[in-house]
Amino acid sequence: MNKGRRKALKALGGAGAVLAAQPYLSFPAIAQSQPLRIGIISPRAGIAGTIGECGLRGTQFAVERINAAGGIAGRRIELIVEEETNPKDSIERLRKLVLQDKVDCVQGIVSSGVSLAMGPVAEEMKALTIFWDGTTQDGVKETMANPRYIFRSTDNECEAVMGSLLAIKHWKGKFKKIAGINPDYSYGRNNFAAFQALLKKFGVEHEIVADQWPKVGTLDLTSHVAALKAAKPDLVFSSLLFADLPIFMKTAHGAGLMEGGCKFVFPAAGFQHTALKKAFTPEGMIFGHNTLYFDHPKASALQKQFVQDYEAKFKDYPHWEADRAYFAMKVYQAGVEAAQKAKNAWPSQEDIINAMEGVKVESLGGPGHMRKDHIAEQTFYQGITTHKNRFDFPTLGEIDTMYSEQLQKPPGADFWKWIETAQIKL
Amino acid sequence: MTAFFDILIGGVFHAAVLFLVAAGLQLVFGVQKIVNLACGSFYALGAYFGVSAVKWALGAGVPIPLFLPVLLASGVLVGLIGPAIEALLRTVYHRDEAFQLLLTFALVLMFQDVLRFFWGANPHELGNVSMEYGKVAIGAVQVPTYNVLVIAASIVIALGLGAFLQRTRFGRILRATAENREMSQALGVNVNWMYTVVFTLGTILGTVSGALVVPTAAASLDMPVELVVEAFAVVVIGGLGSMRGALAGALIVGLLRALAIRYYAELEMLAIYLVVIAVLIARPAGLLGKPIE
Repeated sequence: MNKGRRKALKALGGAGAVLAAQPYLSFPAIAQSQPLRIGIISPRAGIAGTIGECGLRGTQFAVERINAAGGIAGRRIELIVEEETNPKDSIERLRKLVLQDKVDCVQGIVSSGVSLAMGPVAEEMKALTIFWDGTTQDGVKETMANPRYIFRSTDNECEAVMGSLLAIKHWKGKFKKIAGINPDYSYGRNNFAAFQALLKKFGVEHEIVADQWPKVGTLDLTSHVAALKAAKPDLVFSSLLFADLPIFMKTAHGAGLMEGGCKFVFPAAGFQHTALKKAFTPEGMIFGHNTLYFDHPKASALQKQFVQDYEAKFKDYPHWEADRAYFAMKVYQAGVEAAQKAKNAWPSQEDIINAMEGVKVESLGGPGHMRKDHIAEQTFYQGITTHKNRFDFPTLGEIDTMYSEQLQKPPGADFWKWIETAQIKL
Repeated sequence: MTAFFDILIGGVFHAAVLFLVAAGLQLVFGVQKIVNLACGSFYALGAYFGVSAVKWALGAGVPIPLFLPVLLASGVLVGLIGPAIEALLRTVYHRDEAFQLLLTFALVLMFQDVLRFFWGANPHELGNVSMEYGKVAIGAVQVPTYNVLVIAASIVIALGLGAFLQRTRFGRILRATAENREMSQALGVNVNWMYTVVFTLGTILGTVSGALVVPTAAASLDMPVELVVEAFAVVVIGGLGSMRGALAGALIVGLLRALAIRYYAELEMLAIYLVVIAVLIARPAGLLGKPIE
């Protein structure tokens, strides 16, 4: 092969490589005048539809405010919304957002099943992705070990850890027989296991008298409630969180499970807070609102504004997915603006990622930051329910607030070993 | 003993729900030989429509205890979409069963989008109205009166359908048509009309059932698939096309599930499908179905 031909082929190959890599490269000079395109993948139907919808509303609130203030580093945000369904189809939508729509960042994802499958693909595509949720421990460390392009939410088990700590704090010595009714997938299994691990850690003598694992979306829980009742528990721990939860409450109330002084720990109930009516949801239960408690008397002006707008617009009250989505957008904004300021020019994706590591933001529910290992830290709220309010559903009478540094493993640690060894204060 | 009754009632309640879903499926298959996967969608449609109707009625000042007649009326009303769906299915009556399954499955997916369009993605429920009728004590066991009403409604529907099919002239013609469509047609039976009536009746069974059960549960976009899978276990055990089989199958599935949940929750589904497999091997037509020739 002569030198000239080799050179020409090399040039052709180089051009081909540039063309092939085009979707992943940014062209600052062109991009600056165009809106920032952010792809959102969230469920809008099915069991998690209500979660995704609330998250999307949090994103829209953030975008309206950011755009009204001139955008992110001068560029307005344009949202491209795709549906989160099963892992395979959701990954196809990620590819579409990155390759076809050429988004600058992808945000969203509620299900751990989807996030675990999507994580390696997003890494391979070098697509900056911020997960709202979907970070149940099982599989996270294998599929998202030391991610570069993925940023994720707090561990999904944070709420279970907090609920467990509150149960021990408030009721240690007042219960022995424990029953669990948790969704039959890694989230439910891990939460109940975390509860038991924490009871053991704090030396709470207990006996598991029933453990029920209805699959997500079960519409008739009569037999499950009968089984719980037959076991005569002192305390029921449940991380039911979708439409199953109000059904469980109604069924349990109808069967008389709430009578007789049984205690309830529901760390993830905030997802369905408005559907859990006072008529069948008791006072005095431990109830998790995770990273957004909509009726916090000491809420920030930002949260109050959001809740007020949400109520006026949707005749409803938001739950924590709105906060997760808002947090994701603010982390991205803070990263872009910090990188742009440091460079005094439009930053590359790598610059933005570097700037996002360790960034602090004020989210709807309170302060938070993104750790250097790309795991969020946020403020959590749980407490004891009361009926003394203006709503037809219970709110929190006593509010406990914890920053997630107390609730999730530190960088590099194993969740279960962390529970055993951590210095956790009640 | 109290625990046993709790579990028994839980099982019977689930059986009642399953029977209500399976009844429409059985009726339509029995006469029209169509495996209607969309029966779960009719159930869901009735549930959603029932929630809206009750909320509208309560908003209009109807006293809460009257929510039950409102639910029943709404279920019947929305079930009147039956003739339109039947007209669509008529195009595949003479085709292979695979086409029928594909079309009715397409209906399931289309209905899911229709429900989402009108009611959104969020589950809809009726709060505490089901507790409006209070509780009844059966021995030491407390049961919501409404749950007892759902069980009673299943029994009434089962008996009513039995009487309708066995004792009325229309029922006899209907059974004759199911046995031999051509002969019935030759004897002057308007088979097309008969099919429309049967399908509409099957649809109304589904929609009324959905409306009736929704106060104890919730209307969600996933309920059609969720229920139709269990309903198929019921009809396989009981026998496809047999109303008595549906009742027997629903009771077996409901009670087996309740016992499994109580004693070994992991076996909930396994126990049911072990029975399904056993029936398919030992008696492929189902416990009360006609033997396959």
